[in-house]
Amino acid sequence: MIDIKKEIQKDRRAFIKNVLSGTIAGSLLMVIPAGAALDERLPEQLPGMRGDDSPFTEKKFAFVVDVTACIGCGSCCVADKNEYNVPDGNYRTWVERYVIDDHDEVFVDSPNGGLDGYTEPRKDIPYPVRDTFFVPKLCNMCEKPSCVQVCPVGATYKTEDGFILIDKDRCVGCGYCIQACPYSVRFLNPVSRTAEKCTWCYSRVRQGLLPACVNVCPVHARKFGDLNDKTSEVYKILREPHVISVLKPGMGNQPALHYLGLRREVV
Amino acid sequence: MSAVAHGETIAAVSNYIFPNDLHVHWSLMIVLYPYITGLVAGAFIVSSLYHVFHIKALKPVARFSLLFALAFLICATWPLLNHLGRPERAMSMMLTPNPTSAMAGFGYIYSAYFIVLLLEIIFIFRPIVVGLGQKATGFMKALYGVLAIGSDNVSEKALKLDHKIIAFLAAIGIPMACFLHGYVGFIFGGIKANPLWATPLMPLIFLLSACVSGIAGIIVTYILLMKLSGREIDVECVQTLVKFLWGFFILDFTFEMLELFSHFYMATHHWHTLEALYSGPLFNTFWVAQVGIFSVIPFFLLMFMSLIRFKDGLLLFFAPIASIMILVQVLLMRWNVVVGGQLMSKSERGATVFHPMWLEKEGILPAIIIMIAPVVILWIIGKILPFWMDDEGVEVA
Amino acid sequence: MEKKYKSSDYAHVLRLAVIIVVAGVLAVFARGMFLPDTMGQYGHYRGSDLVDQRNVEIRSHTNESCYECHRPIRLIHKAGVHKTVSCEFCHGPYADHITDGKYVAKMPVKRDMEIKTLCLRCHNKIIRARPEESIKVVAMPQHLEEKKVNIAHNCNQCHMVHDPLLWVKAAYDMMGLEMKGEKK
Repeated sequence: MIDIKKEIQKDRRAFIKNVLSGTIAGSLLMVIPAGAALDERLPEQLPGMRGDDSPFTEKKFAFVVDVTACIGCGSCCVADKNEYNVPDGNYRTWVERYVIDDHDEVFVDSPNGGLDGYTEPRKDIPYPVRDTFFVPKLCNMCEKPSCVQVCPVGATYKTEDGFILIDKDRCVGCGYCIQACPYSVRFLNPVSRTAEKCTWCYSRVRQGLLPACVNVCPVHARKFGDLNDKTSEVYKILREPHVISVLKPGMGNQPALHYLGLRREVV
Repeated sequence: MSAVAHGETIAAVSNYIFPNDLHVHWSLMIVLYPYITGLVAGAFIVSSLYHVFHIKALKPVARFSLLFALAFLICATWPLLNHLGRPERAMSMMLTPNPTSAMAGFGYIYSAYFIVLLLEIIFIFRPIVVGLGQKATGFMKALYGVLAIGSDNVSEKALKLDHKIIAFLAAIGIPMACFLHGYVGFIFGGIKANPLWATPLMPLIFLLSACVSGIAGIIVTYILLMKLSGREIDVECVQTLVKFLWGFFILDFTFEMLELFSHFYMATHHWHTLEALYSGPLFNTFWVAQVGIFSVIPFFLLMFMSLIRFKDGLLLFFAPIASIMILVQVLLMRWNVVVGGQLMSKSERGATVFHPMWLEKEGILPAIIIMIAPVVILWIIGKILPFWMDDEGVEVA
Repeated sequence: MEKKYKSSDYAHVLRLAVIIVVAGVLAVFARGMFLPDTMGQYGHYRGSDLVDQRNVEIRSHTNESCYECHRPIRLIHKAGVHKTVSCEFCHGPYADHITDGKYVAKMPVKRDMEIKTLCLRCHNKIIRARPEESIKVVAMPQHLEEKKVNIAHNCNQCHMVHDPLLWVKAAYDMMGLEMKGEKK
């Protein structure tokens, strides 16, 4: 590894030429195993995860969305779509825009799930606008998931460390879990013809990376961390007296996704 | 500007649906599956009314109902297999059924019911099959041999045991038919995320409308087949069927309306989405079609036919009309529940639209094919087993 | 009077019972054959799926990965106000660029009006709902009029995309002026 860094510092142009011609790539290949193995140079954004091959982690991961920070840029949606090649018209995550006029009428939209950002203001608001905000949505990773309850074959399941995952090789594509999810985060992937949803980037997290959407958010509206780590931001947020909410608490699913500054108009 | 209560802030001004709610995932195939199993359960109830409850007037159709049920049962899995994204993995439902999932019950409930129905048919028809086998030649002789389980014994001892077994099968067949359809109701009734589906009444409503559709189906096919073959129709049988149909329909219609009325009366959190659904996208298919035309009219027709002694010709004219209307009503009910329930977005602020297409995988043409198939199968069954003979080989009707 | 039959009185019942039992045994046997090995290992799911899920390809990296090779950009981007903007947001995911440590394809670069559209995704004042503390927003073409710039100009004619305040600050420095309301 040290040799490679020296190479890069010596002559960037030469280095790139060599990369392009594959000579250093050849030696890189000896350092970085081919296939799904992770590039070791990637920062360890979540400590203690890399190299842990046990089925379940000891960590207690939490995902917090700060509604007061979101600017509706849609970077998260772009990153998510890029990460998982999500087919058009389906959304593992999306961003909603809420506009409230001074007659207390609420207008909500999410053009293409916020994937293209919000380029046009709403033109159909009859009265002056008194309030507006953006709300990112993703899998709530419920502690009592109704989707897992209804899967007829056990293709979707909850791990001991709280992740709800879908076994692509066993899902029969019946669509029952999609009906059961109160938050509409699931969809039937038209290519694989199986159910799919946001996984809080399980594979990234297991390798010590933040979920893709958390990583790209330019305003740090999405936060992810380990609640066992008392110095982590999510620990401070969830343990200190902030206004923390979840979506549809009355459903009984006990979502693990928490919102900071969620507004009462949000469903 | 007044202070706003929480509920008011939810009300839909703009039609907003969650991005993933655009597409209706359970469409025609899922409408057809409970319809088909409903016909099966209902036809089986008709047969059991004779075999278990000894309603003598239903003897002419007692046997035919079983064959009718079998023909539809054979086709019951087809809409489901067509719907699955991965039908090649369908056996997973039997290999690894999730005990908390109502849908997982399908594999075992369906198979068990199939076995019971098949056994009942085998035992009931055995003496006839033996007789037919003796007269037949070639392939048909071999087929009859198989259907008679390779036995030619129709002694009194054998028939006595047969009768005991038939009575047993017909008896357990009733709760099994209830399961076959009740669990389908619970597939919907257990989904708390859907305000239209989540009700404890759902299994009951599905079961009662199943019975209703089955009885109506028997009336229509019985009269039709009798007319086509130029045979005399047993009017007493039709009269009894009509009475049972009315009785079951009273219960069915009452529960359907009670469910909606309770929601309306209590007006809890989700009422505004339901109200928007029933006054909007579902207005025509529910209020106009299902209730206004296809519930109210047959209700009164059946009532008159049950309470007033009609002349035979009049009865035989109105009975099929009322029955066909009931068959349409039950199909509409399935449509309104399955598709209607999915039109509402979980955003509680809007609804999506759904129009079935003719030529898509789960479209109208496949649906028609799947509904014609049981009729064809019934015709084939009719070539093997007689619809209308009784034990001694004497024509009943 | 008693007819003689080839089969005994209860032969058919016994045969059916045998058929059902044999079918049941075969079914149990078949289930054992087709059941995935790790089914039920941790719960009602295939235990080996946990490994499959860990091995899902990671397509996006972090800005650090891009910085490894793109040194000049790194210096500018990391020190500027756009340091929290992901390279991959504008240029596409890492996996489309590098596979197995080898260069695969050139990454898309935004040009002309694509740049303006992209900038306005975050910085458009007309789209309300942006918390003012977190990001500077402007309205077009008022922003250009205010700054006395030709309204046909693209954003990147004044604002270097990798650090939008780089040239602006340099211009102020050259003029010996201080930038007002400088946001971090």
